[in-house]
Amino acid sequence: MCPPPNGPATEGSSGGGATPDATGRIADGDPLVAFDGVTKTYQLGGTVTALDDVSVSLDPGSYTAVMGPSGSGKSTLLNLVGGLDTADTGIVRVDGVDLGRVSETRRAEKRGTAIGFVFQTFNLMPRLTAVENVALPLVFDGWAREDRLVRARDVLDDVGLGDRYDHKPAELSGGQRQRVAIARALAPEPSLLLADEPTGNVDTDTGAAIMRLLAEIHDRGNTILLVTHARRIAEHAERIVHVRDGRIERVETVEQRRPHGGDDRPDTYVDARGDGSDTDADGSPGREPATGLDGAE
Amino acid sequence: MEPSEAFRIAARSIRAHRLRSALTVVGMVIGIASVVAFATFGASVQAAVIGDIGDTNANNVFVTPASVDDDSPGGEELAATRPVFTEIDVDRLRTQPGVEAVIPQGLVGLSSATYGNQTVAQRQATATVPETFTESNTVAGRGFEPGAEEAVLNEAAARSFERNVTVGSTLQLTLASGETRNVTVVGIVSGTRGGFLSGFGGDTPRIFLPVDPFYSTVIESPSVGADVSVYPQLTVIAAPDAVPAVQDRTEAYLTGESDAAQLLGEGTEIRVQTSEDIVGAIQDVISQITRFVTGIAVISLVVAAIGIANITLVSVTERTKEIGIMKAVGATNRDTMQLFLTESVLLGTTGAVLGVPVGLAVAWGATRFADVALTLAVDWMAFAVVVGVGVGVVAGLYPAWRASRVDPIDALRYE
Repeated sequence: MCPPPNGPATEGSSGGGATPDATGRIADGDPLVAFDGVTKTYQLGGTVTALDDVSVSLDPGSYTAVMGPSGSGKSTLLNLVGGLDTADTGIVRVDGVDLGRVSETRRAEKRGTAIGFVFQTFNLMPRLTAVENVALPLVFDGWAREDRLVRARDVLDDVGLGDRYDHKPAELSGGQRQRVAIARALAPEPSLLLADEPTGNVDTDTGAAIMRLLAEIHDRGNTILLVTHARRIAEHAERIVHVRDGRIERVETVEQRRPHGGDDRPDTYVDARGDGSDTDADGSPGREPATGLDGAE
Repeated sequence: MEPSEAFRIAARSIRAHRLRSALTVVGMVIGIASVVAFATFGASVQAAVIGDIGDTNANNVFVTPASVDDDSPGGEELAATRPVFTEIDVDRLRTQPGVEAVIPQGLVGLSSATYGNQTVAQRQATATVPETFTESNTVAGRGFEPGAEEAVLNEAAARSFERNVTVGSTLQLTLASGETRNVTVVGIVSGTRGGFLSGFGGDTPRIFLPVDPFYSTVIESPSVGADVSVYPQLTVIAAPDAVPAVQDRTEAYLTGESDAAQLLGEGTEIRVQTSEDIVGAIQDVISQITRFVTGIAVISLVVAAIGIANITLVSVTERTKEIGIMKAVGATNRDTMQLFLTESVLLGTTGAVLGVPVGLAVAWGATRFADVALTLAVDWMAFAVVVGVGVGVVAGLYPAWRASRVDPIDALRYE
């Protein structure tokens, strides 16, 4: 096991100390996400260790990227945080709940209320309109139809898709689909947003827009856990957890990347576009409001 | 998840696969329609037969000889044609309390009947008494007079000649002996009192003749020692409020001191039945046939159920990714199961709702063809609808359970 180094945003790590009660809930003031000695193996023609005794934690309001090559275990880590899977050993606590000790139903409820997923391939329901896709988590959370449609429209407005309510995924561009997916993730007002390679299926400009949108969501106080294999994407986060062979290799904090302070979020996309339009007057990469993203599509 | 939302999502999924869903529903419709059609037709036939008997013969007590051993081949039929009831028995039964009339019936062997230039084959005529005919079942003319060379025909017999026989027509009957007799048709009837074999089955041509002078079967009465007419069948018409009592008295007399008791051969007995008894027996037979045929139709329901299960399984496989997405955004196993179960129940219910009117339409066509009134088998219709919904539930259970067990991670990777 590689215990993560200490740092302002990386209260990382082992144990957590607090003892969960019978429902798996632990006392307030704990990290939003806490991994404590988590191991996960799969049987794929032999035992494959996807995560090996990993301990890491995310504070509320933090923006963390998990970075590593294919097969390093980063997606497994995301699935465990999202309650899509359970650990073989160790504890995974999200929002105070030990996901390994609660029922599948409770994990599903947690996914629908406290956790928002954004996938590389968008994973929208093809037969539902944008507004219905966004409202989907609210269906399972028992919202009244009118309430959830109002909420879905609000969130779509927030991500700049106010004019695409009734479009089906096939009628939207890749960037628009990803923004619908982000809106869907945000609809239940989750405490944690999980993004798995969110720019992996869009072009460079759209990817930049998506990353700006995530940054804006983070600035509003949301906690984001981003999984990527690309450094330029990971550098949007406040800290980068490097994973390799199922273990945490090192944790890189924003202070380590920006010893002089200030916002140095990457302008990789700007460079790729080559017109410098994404750079603020002071030279730092700007973040446009989400509603201004249409031009990137 | 609210049931209305599950319904909405399921309906959308069904609409998305219109052809597949339609074919599945067609399977259900065939299954349900078969059950409803067979059951309704059976009920209609039953009601028609029972109505015929019940309407005209509610207070009739039918008396026939019958074989003791019901299993002997042809024994029942043979016994029923054996003449054992003498004129003495008829007279004595007439004096019993509660008896309105006693109608003996015998058979007169014929070979043919000729009207004008046309001759039709006619195996037999029924010899009986004028009380057989009532005003209500006389369509035209009147009953015959005893001792007259007169005949009464039922409507089917009147129609059996190219030129319809009417009151006043003269028929030439060729008796089985070869002798020919001219009779005047004095009445056309729609049915008769007495003799359950002539009381219904209105499509069989029947000719009724007076006992005197046409019926010549006689036997020496054991009680009086003289030759008297003897009949194979009697119908005792009871007062409406005295049917059970008359049945008991008739049975008591005939099994006691009657000529019939002494004339009965070995292995035969006298059967005294009310129309209710006969209705019950007929009802039992028709019900059994209906149940059997409807049971066969239920097989098509089972086939339809397998169709629904199959299509729902395909749907689960096809929508694995959607299941993963739904689970990722908070759908519980129960929600997932509910969605697929709702879909299969919706298919089953649609099949049932469409199948009932289709079945009724088929049954209506069949009853028109068989010339009986349509009688709704409400219980079977309810059964079909319940089975339709039940089939949806049962057929959808396993696929829905499988859907609920889908691993969301695998499902999200599914292409």
